Amino acid sequence: MNDRPDADGIDDRHRPGVEEFVTAWATALHRAHYVPITAEQRHRIVSALAERLVTAVLTDPVRPGDGQRIGTDLVAAGFGSPEALGGTIAVIGARLPAALGVAADPTRATRLNGLLADLAAGFASAAHDRSLREQDAVRLAALDARTQAEEALRVSEARFRRFATHDQLTGLPNLTRFTEELGRLCSAAVPVDRVGVCCLDVDDFAAVNDVLGHRVGDLLLREIAHRLAALTDPRIGLVARLDSDRFAILVRGTTCAEDAIKIADRALATLAAPFRVNGTEVPLTASAGVAEGAVADDGATLMRDSEIALHWAKADGKGTLRRFDQDRSAADAARYRLSAAMPAALHRGEFTAAYQPIAALRSGRLAGVEALARWRHPQLGLLTAARFIDLAEHTGLVVALGRHLLEQACRQASRWQRIQPGLYVSVNVSVRQLRRNGLAGEVAQILDRTGLPPHLLQLEVTEQAVIDLTGVVTESLAALMALGVRIVIDDFGIGYANLANLRSLPLHGLKLDASLTRPAAQPVRQPGARRPGTDDDFLRTVVSLGHRLGLVVTAEGIETAQQAHRLAATGCDNGQGWHFGRPVPPDEITASIVAQRDRDPVSRDTALPAFPAQQR
Amino acid sequence: MERPEWAPADVDLSRPSVARAYDYWLGGSHNFEVDREFARQAMAAVPDLRLVARANREFLHRAVRFMLDQGVRQFLDIGSGIPTVGNVHEIAQQVDPDARVVYVDIDPVAVTHSTHILAGQPNAVALLEDLRHPEAILEHPETRRLLDLDRPVGLLLVSVVHAVPDHDDPYGLIKRLWTALAPGSCVAISHVTTDSRPDEMGEGTRLSGRTNTPVTARTRAQVEDLFAGLDLVEPGVVWSPLWRPESPAEVGDHPERMSFYVGVGRRR
Repeated sequence: MNDRPDADGIDDRHRPGVEEFVTAWATALHRAHYVPITAEQRHRIVSALAERLVTAVLTDPVRPGDGQRIGTDLVAAGFGSPEALGGTIAVIGARLPAALGVAADPTRATRLNGLLADLAAGFASAAHDRSLREQDAVRLAALDARTQAEEALRVSEARFRRFATHDQLTGLPNLTRFTEELGRLCSAAVPVDRVGVCCLDVDDFAAVNDVLGHRVGDLLLREIAHRLAALTDPRIGLVARLDSDRFAILVRGTTCAEDAIKIADRALATLAAPFRVNGTEVPLTASAGVAEGAVADDGATLMRDSEIALHWAKADGKGTLRRFDQDRSAADAARYRLSAAMPAALHRGEFTAAYQPIAALRSGRLAGVEALARWRHPQLGLLTAARFIDLAEHTGLVVALGRHLLEQACRQASRWQRIQPGLYVSVNVSVRQLRRNGLAGEVAQILDRTGLPPHLLQLEVTEQAVIDLTGVVTESLAALMALGVRIVIDDFGIGYANLANLRSLPLHGLKLDASLTRPAAQPVRQPGARRPGTDDDFLRTVVSLGHRLGLVVTAEGIETAQQAHRLAATGCDNGQGWHFGRPVPPDEITASIVAQRDRDPVSRDTALPAFPAQQR
Repeated sequence: MERPEWAPADVDLSRPSVARAYDYWLGGSHNFEVDREFARQAMAAVPDLRLVARANREFLHRAVRFMLDQGVRQFLDIGSGIPTVGNVHEIAQQVDPDARVVYVDIDPVAVTHSTHILAGQPNAVALLEDLRHPEAILEHPETRRLLDLDRPVGLLLVSVVHAVPDHDDPYGLIKRLWTALAPGSCVAISHVTTDSRPDEMGEGTRLSGRTNTPVTARTRAQVEDLFAGLDLVEPGVVWSPLWRPESPAEVGDHPERMSFYVGVGRRR
């Protein structure tokens, strides 16, 4: 600033008082406003500004803008507060007129006034501009901060979404993601007509975890995931881990179920190769269920169907795949509904007994009856045991149901004693009943309550029931025998007849299965082979086996008079089947007893029951 | 309390920010009306709050110059706030153009503004981090890029430690920070107290509860404890104007009214 060609002012700038003015101004500014500079730096800045101011006062005419620029530069140096302006005006007013001899020179006084006014204006304008700039800056910063926070939120949401839609162990998509994708495919917006879902489950994986530990289990799951993810097929839309050892493959653009089955097959094949974990070979198998359908189907339905099919694959022996089938599913559902309705039905008394005649083959007369369970279902009508006994066996309801039927049968048989003394009733006993403690006690109570003599109650047990003679079964049978109740083997000849067990059991008789009493298919003849026995040879042998063991033999499934004659010829004691009568309500048995008595009054009292009253 | 690590910082412009209020007290315009409203309320409680803020700011600069004199050429300024004229890197780079500065603040607006100001400035950076996560600050890639932790660092904790309540263990946090630094590193701390003006500063402290960083005032003994393990340089923990003033005239008649204890410690 001291390069200005201003001869007049050169001497005056160094007048006494100017230096004091600079010091006073710097002090005033420092007091008014903090600028992070040293005192020396501050003095240098103020000194330069003072020099320009002094020069301007001494220069005629004042160059336009000089005063304003001093004000602007004051703000630029950091002294932009109102206090800094106030301090500046005060110091200039107090010190400069005397230092520059303004009193002696009215033009200087005028110039100083004008400069002061310009300086204040320049200062205010610069401070205003500075405020506006800072406001812009902070707004921009806030805007950017918001944008960055939103971006960070998006990134974190994306990470959270990955966390929520992927399995952490295997990195595969999880159930959430699978369901979402299936739903998307099943929405009309996607041009795919049909989709398939293959649900896979490792067989007996719990055993792997139990025996080898969870760490090995986790390694296996990763390897399984890796193999499934490595399956390449343009139709594979997604491979997911649903939970624990359950995986799923989404197949898109299928034309038929076979397309999805092929992929499930490949998945099972890739898992069939043994796994190696820590140098140990771990063979695994997996089961699969496949459901395939049009996208119009609900995705959740496809998912459920594939899981149902997976259950079938497991139930049918594992290591295989099953395709969902509406008929099987409907049958399953019906069975389930039936099974679920049974306890209440038993409570309401919907279970009753039907009775099928058992005749003495020599005389053709009624010797006894077999009580057969019937369900008077309010919607489905009268159901035979074949429809529900397995369900009852499965749920365990068979125990209560068996007790209920036994009581009904004994009460009915007891009534019949009045019109046909010695008529016995034969009741089926299930494996479950036999394996429970206390069966003999229950039977004893029922006999007590109903008044039926023990020897007129015959309990039928299957070969299966006595194949495993555990303590409870043997004890039950022995206790029942001690009661005087008769025990026969039902369906003899088709199960796993354990002759060793038969030998040691307190049996009273055998019931030959209907398949033995029907004519066999023509035997295959081989040249030079021994002539196979005829049907009659078989029957005679079995009957004589029974008789040799002191057992009463009853043949089931006799449908014709010819069969009845043939069996009578073999020496078989009793017969049962449609030829002698179908299972009927007790009234009809009563009616036929009465009719038989009327037809043949002489033999009324001598009618022999098939079972001698005092046998063995 | 703890945000999940992926949760972004909150930008809530409806709450006053201490960083922007501080800018207002120093005469700046980097603030919004909500900040100024809070700043004026605080000034109603403590009429000379602008001087208090200024004295604290002056201490920062004297501490930085002191550290520069000690040969420190890299700085970690935690709680750097809104950048105004005379930022640490400006002062440091006057002495050494290669001086490095890492600014850290919890206020996202302060950090983005700093980032704008530092655009084209290769040796200074601003990070959005929290004093309560020392390792996150120290392990941050930008910190690692700019600072050589095998050489002395100037750790600046100016007007920030009082934002850490006792249950976040400020003593432990500070120690975790400086133990990661090389011997010869310096730690500057300035801290609000109600020792000298219990009523006025107590009210100011209470008002800070409205902001995102409420203040916990501490006693001189507590502030001295913040330096535990470090060698306090002369004159120890003192009122802010009394720490190595440029001249006796700068101190003023009542340094205790500035209500900040300050000090600088050196790592052995």
